[in-house]
Amino acid sequence: MSVAIETHDLGKRYREVTAVEHLSLRVTEGEIYAFLGLNGAGKTTTIRMLLGMIKPTAGTATVLRTRVQLGSVEPWAAVGYLVETPHAYPELTVYENLEVARRLHPGIRRQAIDRTIERLGLGAYADRRAGTLSHGNAQRLGLARALLHDPRLLILDEPANGLDPAGIVEIRELLLELTRQRGVTVFMSSHILAEVSRVAQRIGIIHEGRLLQELEAEELEQNRRCRLLVRTRDAGAALHALAAAGYAAGPVRPASPSLAPEEPLALVDARSVQHPDDVARMLVQAGTPPTELVVEEEELEHYFLRLVGVNGGQDG
Amino acid sequence: MDDLANAVWSEVRKATRSRVPLLTLLGFLMLPLACALFMFIYKDPDFARSLGLISAKASLAGGSADWPFYLSMFAQGISIGGVLLFSLIGSWVFGREFADGTLTNLLAVPVPRTTIVLAKFVVVCLWSITLTAIVYATGLVLGALIGLSEGSAGIVMQGSVVLAVTSGLVILDVFPVAFLASVGRGYLLPLGVMLLVLALANVIGVLGWGNYFPWSVPGLYAGLSGEGASLGPTSYWIVLLAGLAGVVGTCLWWTHADQH
Repeated sequence: MSVAIETHDLGKRYREVTAVEHLSLRVTEGEIYAFLGLNGAGKTTTIRMLLGMIKPTAGTATVLRTRVQLGSVEPWAAVGYLVETPHAYPELTVYENLEVARRLHPGIRRQAIDRTIERLGLGAYADRRAGTLSHGNAQRLGLARALLHDPRLLILDEPANGLDPAGIVEIRELLLELTRQRGVTVFMSSHILAEVSRVAQRIGIIHEGRLLQELEAEELEQNRRCRLLVRTRDAGAALHALAAAGYAAGPVRPASPSLAPEEPLALVDARSVQHPDDVARMLVQAGTPPTELVVEEEELEHYFLRLVGVNGGQDG
Repeated sequence: MDDLANAVWSEVRKATRSRVPLLTLLGFLMLPLACALFMFIYKDPDFARSLGLISAKASLAGGSADWPFYLSMFAQGISIGGVLLFSLIGSWVFGREFADGTLTNLLAVPVPRTTIVLAKFVVVCLWSITLTAIVYATGLVLGALIGLSEGSAGIVMQGSVVLAVTSGLVILDVFPVAFLASVGRGYLLPLGVMLLVLALANVIGVLGWGNYFPWSVPGLYAGLSGEGASLGPTSYWIVLLAGLAGVVGTCLWWTHADQH
């Protein structure tokens, strides 16, 4: 598989502030790569460097085998992009905005505009001035501009921003269709792991300008923590019995001062997660039968926050 | 060349779909109206006084209701009003991409950024020339209606040439506005600087160094400092250099500076 995007030790400093540093990533052609990070993590700065809009202070970026340089015309004929909130010319209609975009891509026929308008569901708004569009439709227009010239690579900054749930599903399906049927590569940033985990084959997590981790979508399942939640009518006795049987158990809310009788207990060791039936049997024998027994998988956002070390992800 | 034609088409479309051309036209129409009003007053001051257009104390020395004076007044008006109005046009054409956040759409495209910048300069020129032509045509009609004396094809032709050259100098003078709009990412910096430059041009002109200050040159050419102000080739070169500096600076900024 050839490489669509490759960065080597990419960095951007603004005087004392480091926006991105030592960023080395590789996106294979035909895959959807999600670039995940909190606001201010360096996602947009990275995307602007990939698109030759800002000059890196360190390292290099290569897009479609072309070394990215400020102000160059290569390789943009084959790249569609969306950076931050898409802005259109407010006094032009949706169609005219796309016509202006078409003229920046020599060789693209006018029919491409109609096709793209239809693909993005903007038919009813084609003659509406862009300034009067809702945020969601403005986002669609931004995506339409990115797709107009049938690019081989899409670089999208938060493409689901401002879309309603139906719009998010629609865009997700559109991106999947583009990769599966046309082999388009998608590099998309997001701050919502649950959203990208449904489409991305690979996920790169950026925090405070550094790439923390790159993982395959399947690895997400393996890396997320699982725990067994047990509820009985006497939490104290159950805790005692579990400890005696060698299970690492504790109250779900360890910070609470006293243990309520029906307080759920959490077991985090692999043995209890893999064999909850053994735990149930033991509790029955100890005279504190479970009223509830659930194997719980760590939520994606919880996992993400734990990974970047932000509060809310610490206690999992 | 196709790229440039396409870029010019886009810029023309963006401009004509906005209200700015109409607003600049309305603003610029003040010039022929003001000139015509003066001619009307000069022609018959007593009648103007009786209409209440001027007070009894108004000083009307130095003016006459004839074509040469009218056309000269017109060119002088363009040397000042043009700087303001053409600056507004340049600021809008370049600054709007930054102010509206649409610049991003122009950056990672297979058309060179310099082509887009040049297309914008073409539109600034076309727009300024069209406005001047409309305003001048209005001025000629008003002059004819007032019935100014000493009118001949030769005089109108000579006045037209002075006016065309003045407009050309002013257009070159406002090219640096594009650079200021790009660096300042909007309208405020270019318009603020040009107001300052206009004030400076006045002061420098009074001090007698106007020949070497690009923004004083159109006024001197149009006869703002009275008869006898002669401009050498250096003055024209300085204006040309100011314009070129504006174009080159803008191109370099678009191709070499970080664009956020």
